[in-house]
Amino acid sequence: MSDQLLNKLDTVVADILADWNIYSTIVAGLVVTFAIYSVVSAKDPDVHPFLLARQSTSSPIRQSGESATYRSLETPYGFPLRAGLNVKDPGAPKWTAGRKGDLRDIWRTAVHGALNEDGTTSKAQSKIYTVLGKRAVEHSLSQVTQEINVIGHYLQKAEAKTVAVCLTDSVELLASLFAGAFYGFKVILVPHHLPAETLSAHLQAAQADALIAEAGSVDLSVASKDNKQLSQVIWVAKYGNRHMDWHGVPDNVEGVMQVEVWHELVEEHKDLSGMDVPEYDPKEPAPGISTVWPSDSQSGNFIDFQSENLVAAVASLGSTLPRNQRLTSSDLVLSIDSLSRSYPLCLILNALFSNASIALNSVAGEEVDFALATVGVSPTVIVASSRTISDYHDSVMQPKVGLLSSLGRWVQKRSLESGTMPSKNIFSQLARAGPSSELSLDKLRLLCVSHRIDAPASAQLTLKQLTHFRIFTNARIIYALTGPGIAGAIAQTNLFDYRHGDGPSHFGAPLSSTEITLTGVSETAAAVQPEGEIKVSGPAVAGGEAVLVPRVRISKENTVELCT
Amino acid sequence: MVGMISAPGLFYTPSKVPLVITLVNLGNLHQDDCSRPNNQSSFRVARPPTVFRVYTPKTLIEFNGEDNRPVYLAVRGRVFDVSPGRNFYGPGGPYENFAGRDASRGLAHQSFDEDMLTKDLSAPLDDLKNLDADQLENLKSWEERFLEKYLVVGKLVAEGDDEAPKS
Repeated sequence: MSDQLLNKLDTVVADILADWNIYSTIVAGLVVTFAIYSVVSAKDPDVHPFLLARQSTSSPIRQSGESATYRSLETPYGFPLRAGLNVKDPGAPKWTAGRKGDLRDIWRTAVHGALNEDGTTSKAQSKIYTVLGKRAVEHSLSQVTQEINVIGHYLQKAEAKTVAVCLTDSVELLASLFAGAFYGFKVILVPHHLPAETLSAHLQAAQADALIAEAGSVDLSVASKDNKQLSQVIWVAKYGNRHMDWHGVPDNVEGVMQVEVWHELVEEHKDLSGMDVPEYDPKEPAPGISTVWPSDSQSGNFIDFQSENLVAAVASLGSTLPRNQRLTSSDLVLSIDSLSRSYPLCLILNALFSNASIALNSVAGEEVDFALATVGVSPTVIVASSRTISDYHDSVMQPKVGLLSSLGRWVQKRSLESGTMPSKNIFSQLARAGPSSELSLDKLRLLCVSHRIDAPASAQLTLKQLTHFRIFTNARIIYALTGPGIAGAIAQTNLFDYRHGDGPSHFGAPLSSTEITLTGVSETAAAVQPEGEIKVSGPAVAGGEAVLVPRVRISKENTVELCT
Repeated sequence: MVGMISAPGLFYTPSKVPLVITLVNLGNLHQDDCSRPNNQSSFRVARPPTVFRVYTPKTLIEFNGEDNRPVYLAVRGRVFDVSPGRNFYGPGGPYENFAGRDASRGLAHQSFDEDMLTKDLSAPLDDLKNLDADQLENLKSWEERFLEKYLVVGKLVAEGDDEAPKS
């Protein structure tokens, strides 16, 4: 029996060897090469597929008419939501829980510099860059601390309680924010480029007694008409305009308003105020920040963020990133979305807290030219709005795809599909050959895109667009959903979720400082993929809870989707 | 790729078949790597959440664990789903008297007897007025343990209460 078998085998082998020819060698060679290639090139996906299959946890109980409550995997049901930065004061016992912290701690951490592995400071401070066209101006943090001290002192002496800041993204804007935290006045971030009447209405609604604005951008005679309480104005003059005299005021406010110029104040008082971060008592709460949510009505609504809301959002934006992807001192974060919006603001604050360098662009806003706004610096992280990204995709990226870049794109897409970020190689060069060659994005590793929940649906990014951007920029993408009243974001996609498909992208799981519940859910659909209005609560929400009107669905992967 | 090579009739001898089959299989192996993020067919579907409800003693009594129904019991107006502790609170367990009932007085007295329960299901809820300090302390520690271990799935109100669901 076994003899027979052996004989048979022998004949088979003899047969194969008998008519072995060049083709057999080629085929055998192919088999061996392919086997080796498969083993060598096999890479584990960046994240375990189960983590993408269920991206948030749901509570085991729900109210009737509502969905279950969804939370991030970091802070599941029954655990406290992330409420603060966990700041440890020097000298505090090693194992005690840290404080929640506030803006002052963020600035102090930034100024102290990155920590070495053994916990000592490396004294290497991060930098702040202002991008002016193709040029980037560098500011050291000590220099900015000095400005904080001068402006803070000045406004404190003038007994300003509420300071409206109406500036483009700039160092002065950041300095005013921190001056407010250190010197105890509330800062109102008013979007710039507003018509004089709207600005005046904002100032009145906020009862602002001081205004920091770009020199020449605000008509004081209009602003003062309805604002008798407004007594201090600080002009911020652009570099080119500093030689001019900005002290002149319209006749009707002569003697009512005290007008000063930022750089002159700093120059005058810089010897008196030190370069050190002011001493402060952490027990004394830092004042909050108000921002304007651009609603459909011209004026927009004021959102009063407490200091707690902001730090919760800053902390959760940081902790949601996987450990090896967090912002570090080697990062340069460029925001091309306006700092008067809470998502870019919280990310920039997180960058400062993580000792990353930041770059601010005065043209930053919701609708900017991606290519123009990113020249001048070579950032590792870019913060942009969904409108900016989708405009760039539609106008530049889509039309410029040629045959070569299609081939490169196909190869890169295969890698993304199998769950790994394609590395930089000949194919990535090919893929970006046409569409993004003009960009200075060689170092880019992360693109943070935020979508306003009430923005038009055309700005919403599709899964295809996100895949294209991953391939073209060779950067990972997080896509966040923002809403009025919520500091930072409501929900944000997983950094490692590269899957593509059809239709608009989902928004991932809630951040660790928010939880979401859908209300007005029909009982038949409540169990699977509930759909309804979204109720967001948690430490990052102004007032603790916010109900937003747009309808939202929870997908079968427990991610947030906007209903269209 | 494989098809392209085999098509022009290069493999006229049957003995090359095993080689080609190996090549095809290797190709397939590479294609459906089971660890790909897109492949999630094997993922278990989550249990749908329980709906928070308002119970009266009459509706609560159905949840006594018989016929594999869940086991609920009420402590001071809170209804706990104690099904994970079915061996204790379910039928045949030492605390089976509490299943589907208001267990507040029994827990306070550390007694599992029938006479600790309110017999008349339509009567107002036990107000627990005549408990002494030790018993209240007892009740509190039970309540804390329940909150730690079990899920609050509803609220118990007396029959005829404003909040009671109309039947």
